[in-house]
Amino acid sequence: MPITESGLQSTFEAGEVTIPADGIPTVRVPLDDLTRAVDKIRFELDHSRFVDVTAVDRLTPEDRFELVYLFYSLREKTWLRLKTRTDSEAPSITSSVPGANWYEREVFDLFGITFKGHPDLTRIMLPEDWQGHPLRRTVPIGAEPVDFTVTRSAYGSS
Amino acid sequence: MAVADTNDRRELLTVNMGPQHPSTHGVLRLELKLDGEVVVHCRPVIGYLHTGIEKTFEAKTYLQGVVLTDRMDYLNPLGNNLAYALSLEKLLQCEIPERATVLRVLLVEMTRIASHLMFIGSMALDLGASSPFLYVWREREKILDFFERMSGVRMMTSFIRPGGLVRDLEPALLESMSTFTDAMPSYIDSYEELLTANPIFKERTEGVGVLSGQDALDLGVSGPTLRAAGVALDLRKSNPYCGYESYDFAVPTGNVGDCYDRYLVRVAEMRESVKICRQALDQLPEGPVRTDDRKVMPPPREELAKSMEAVIHHFKLWTEGIKPPAGEAYVGVESPRGELGFYVVSDGSGRPIRVHERAPSFANLQALPKLTEGGAVADVVACIASLDPIMGESDR
Repeated sequence: MPITESGLQSTFEAGEVTIPADGIPTVRVPLDDLTRAVDKIRFELDHSRFVDVTAVDRLTPEDRFELVYLFYSLREKTWLRLKTRTDSEAPSITSSVPGANWYEREVFDLFGITFKGHPDLTRIMLPEDWQGHPLRRTVPIGAEPVDFTVTRSAYGSS
Repeated sequence: MAVADTNDRRELLTVNMGPQHPSTHGVLRLELKLDGEVVVHCRPVIGYLHTGIEKTFEAKTYLQGVVLTDRMDYLNPLGNNLAYALSLEKLLQCEIPERATVLRVLLVEMTRIASHLMFIGSMALDLGASSPFLYVWREREKILDFFERMSGVRMMTSFIRPGGLVRDLEPALLESMSTFTDAMPSYIDSYEELLTANPIFKERTEGVGVLSGQDALDLGVSGPTLRAAGVALDLRKSNPYCGYESYDFAVPTGNVGDCYDRYLVRVAEMRESVKICRQALDQLPEGPVRTDDRKVMPPPREELAKSMEAVIHHFKLWTEGIKPPAGEAYVGVESPRGELGFYVVSDGSGRPIRVHERAPSFANLQALPKLTEGGAVADVVACIASLDPIMGESDR
């Protein structure tokens, strides 16, 4: 059965369903529903192939990070995107989706989001003694920050 | 198998394989726990080639980002350009001229052949056969020469851009590509003569590093590694982009999922790619290779002398860059290593707020413990080679 916007909306009552420019149906669920939503997507909706996990730093005062999960259905040949918001913590899905292991480590490493229940939550890209999480948008891009009075509020004075 | 419950075993030897090891295709480190010759535990350690490319994207305009995509996967630069361009074109809702689409397919398939040639050569070299490497290099060199004639650069061409191509290909170059495409099947035969029935090569790869289809899917594995495990998922067939649905080609799969199958699948894929190149060259339509959307591609030089609007477009594009509407896009394409896609998030300004690459090598390397544990330590080399990982793409 192909996925429709209304069909998705009825499956995820607490969720918000949108279809962005790339045509991949996107479900936004509260953080508490994440594990249940992943199970629903993989078994009820048959999008069982895990593709990707990443995060986007939205710089909002609350629930700053957007976690983006991507799944694929071998039968329908479609992708399905799942989103949730968090400040610092999220439940790990590695126990049910082994492929998410390294992806969650990457998000932990580069964004500093802790995945509860992850079997080996260590830095993957950066050295173990690295300080900070470079993909946060408060980390300056490309170079050492220059100490201007106007940038002090964002980066602090050097 | 965990190390803690092996009290009755002999003492386990921990060996660090890599990061500086010729068979690790870059800088991959494996922490191996060995019981004699048998690998009991394998933990891949990556990140030695992390260059912060995803962070760098945030500082660049969308067009400057194209240059970064080349450098992620040095064997598939045009394929990475294409994946990035397709995501952006989805965001921009921008239509590409027919000729550009067909040329993109031609270039990407040429790149796939070049990448698989490198795979055959390096896998044979890792297993001790040094002559195939010289033969595949001969043909790979021809493809790189084409890229040089087309763009002036052999590897990091950045030739496929949002909105089309940099420029059209010369008729003489297309003629050379056509001659090459006709000759390529006989070259592939000659590599197969060296390896496919070679008893030593078969001894080293058959039954080694077996990965079942279910395990592959669970671990997020894609591409030839997944197809060798018997799952016929090829995004060119299942989710066609660039008009792949109009090309006639097969999706080769394996039965066992061992290193030998992964080799066979890639060789068969090269033959299919040659078929696609032939069809692309035959049905190449005339026309422009750049979109006439002036918000994406700059106006041609001669217009600048005549039209004020063209001058404004030119100026805005080169100072502020492409400005896609706020939103996000992901387009999955089939790279020589698997599902590749760029997740681009725009806030409507001239620079992305997030570009994430779904890198096939990253997911495929997760399967390495599954392939190596329980096997001999000498087979680890075959397993790494059969995954064809690119560390630049995996570590980004």
